[in-house]
Amino acid sequence: MTSTVPSPTSDDEEAALGLRKIIHVDMDAFFASVEQRDNPDLRGRPVAVGGSSGRGVVAAASYEARKFGVRSAMPSLTAKRLCPDLIFCKARFDAYAEVSQQIRAIFLDFTPHVEPLSLDEAYLDVTEDLRGIGSATRIAELIRQRIREETQLTASAGVSYNKFLAKLASDQNKPDGLCVIRPGQGAAFVQSLPVRRFHGIGPRGAEKMARLGIETGADLAARDIAWLRGHFGSFADYLYRAARGIDLRPVRANRIRKSIGGERTFFEDISSGQALREALDNIIDIVWDRIAEKDARGRTVTLKMKYTDFQLSTRARSLSQPIKDKAEFAKVARALLDEQLPLPLPIRLMGLTLSSLERDAGTEERPRDDAQLSLL
Amino acid sequence: MKATIERAKLLRCLSHVQSVVERRNTIPILSNVLIEASADGRVRIMATDLDLQVVENLETVSVEAAGAITVSAHLLFDIARKLPDGSQVSLETADNRMTVKAGRSRFQLPTLPRDDFPVIVEGDLPTSFELPARVLAEMVDRTRFAISTEETRYYLNGIFLHVTDGDLKAAATDGHRLARFTLAKPEGAEGMPDVIVPRKAVGELRKLLEEALDGNVEIDLSASKIRFTLGGEGGVVLTSKLIDGTFPDYSRVIPTGNDKLLRLDPKSFYEGVDRVATIATEKTRAVKMGLETDKVTLSVTSPDNGTAAEEVPADYSSDAFEIGFNANYLKDILGQIDGDTVELHLADPGAPTLIRQDEKSPALYVLMPMRV
Repeated sequence: MTSTVPSPTSDDEEAALGLRKIIHVDMDAFFASVEQRDNPDLRGRPVAVGGSSGRGVVAAASYEARKFGVRSAMPSLTAKRLCPDLIFCKARFDAYAEVSQQIRAIFLDFTPHVEPLSLDEAYLDVTEDLRGIGSATRIAELIRQRIREETQLTASAGVSYNKFLAKLASDQNKPDGLCVIRPGQGAAFVQSLPVRRFHGIGPRGAEKMARLGIETGADLAARDIAWLRGHFGSFADYLYRAARGIDLRPVRANRIRKSIGGERTFFEDISSGQALREALDNIIDIVWDRIAEKDARGRTVTLKMKYTDFQLSTRARSLSQPIKDKAEFAKVARALLDEQLPLPLPIRLMGLTLSSLERDAGTEERPRDDAQLSLL
Repeated sequence: MKATIERAKLLRCLSHVQSVVERRNTIPILSNVLIEASADGRVRIMATDLDLQVVENLETVSVEAAGAITVSAHLLFDIARKLPDGSQVSLETADNRMTVKAGRSRFQLPTLPRDDFPVIVEGDLPTSFELPARVLAEMVDRTRFAISTEETRYYLNGIFLHVTDGDLKAAATDGHRLARFTLAKPEGAEGMPDVIVPRKAVGELRKLLEEALDGNVEIDLSASKIRFTLGGEGGVVLTSKLIDGTFPDYSRVIPTGNDKLLRLDPKSFYEGVDRVATIATEKTRAVKMGLETDKVTLSVTSPDNGTAAEEVPADYSSDAFEIGFNANYLKDILGQIDGDTVELHLADPGAPTLIRQDEKSPALYVLMPMRV
């Protein structure tokens, strides 16, 4: 029966053996660094971007703040306790987006194969670069230099032969660092690495692995693919390869947006039906604005709620047709809320997402009705 | 390089080539046009998007120095557009710049070297034939509205050209409707490979044809490339890669046994459909046709907007029944019917309907109904 479980073939290894040149560029403490650049008073001091009020969270922390243990996604109150002198700045997304445009333009000078992961990090495939430089390490240096000159900010870069290793590498010598993992070094690099640092393994995943006796890349590499599939399902193939320093995912320019949404954390926990509906209407407004701006058409609406005990609840509904207007979007969202009332606990956060997006939104309005019969 | 060109000629040429250039390019040189001036007094302008390239020869006032350079297509086009009518435009390169001078205006544009400009390698194009531009234009018009825009079925994103015994056929479909145009096989088309011409190439070709309707077009092709030459030597040459895929065997969806024949005036039919469809929402664009002896009742019912109905006189003698169609699809087809009557060959509310002007018309349409 073992033969029914196909294992990643040796072709994979061949395909991955140093044939590509990938750079992962990551801005250092991005939002906080932009704030320190634009306000000299903040330089050298612990800065957090995010709301300082009761329920805010830290969106980014400067390196000075990180020394106190302040991390992004940490509740602001916790951060303040760790670092009483922490200075909170309101996020200025326009400023960050502007820098993001600048760095993206720099990347595109070297290669068209740029896959942005967020405002401040991207994968670049420089197997063939536009300038004919040839050396990925040299390109990474040039990019870091130009980012420094043009934005007065620092970036770290990782150079390797796949995305997984490049991202690990960029994290290695942060801030303002460069790290190269050469072909042949990937497996060794991963061996001693705690699994928590693998892209895609979060705190929960690491916890589960610890329970199974897996702490490092070497522990992971010791398990066979069938065992991994038994415990991690579809994630197993990725883990199997990652533990060996292999990653076959290509760098995808023009990543397709899969969903549009938004969420709000409330000042006070809410539980009454009336307050919940008002909160939902507010989120409907915010999210529909984003949908309208992107001219997106999607079929699935997801309502997310976080209870006061931090348990997460999501409920989704898919329609046969794309949502056609705000009224329909609101109707589906309200129905999703109504069917969960009364709630078992008050909630602290609510969010809405539209997904199952149509590709090519807006190019042509065409009915996708099931009512239209098909010729072919 | 230094050349002087009449503004009108330059503008006309740039208007042809600049639409090939994509507005957003990650590779800078693809935003540029290649300008080549040769010592014999001719200028060639070329644009590409890597899949499609257009080359046009231009008469000049003079070429003082031969050479070649690339500059931004849209910049040069916008400049040419704004220069005064009747002016003479001089293009001169020096130090990685191109100077554009006309009257009292003077522009210095950044350039990129001509050697970096990608040229489509045509390879051997063994099939060659000629078609009158008017015929080619009609072939495009009658079929291109049915080209699919769904990128997952990329092999439907173009017009399928193929030869049968005595015919050259063009077909396009998006899975809901099919359009086919047939003409006598031109000399030289024997043994032609089946090809799918991409939508963008079709669009650019149609624009170029509009200005050359009285001439002939030379078509050269292989299984991977097609080249259209308009206006003979010194004219415009459009070269496109072909879609690498297999077009479905569409002949099996063309119904042959539909026994209910409806004849009516395409113009009043079109207008009737258009009127009742006014209240159709985006979601339900279905128009219901109630067929009775010598009359069709068009109707639309919208949950939001109420109802609409219109009677259209017709020639019909089969059993009464109802069938629904997407109003836009009907209008697309009816818009291509020139004569005083259109024939709809129907079977039942769930079967493909054949639409044509009459049995002699070169164009034929198949439309799938909607459930109403």
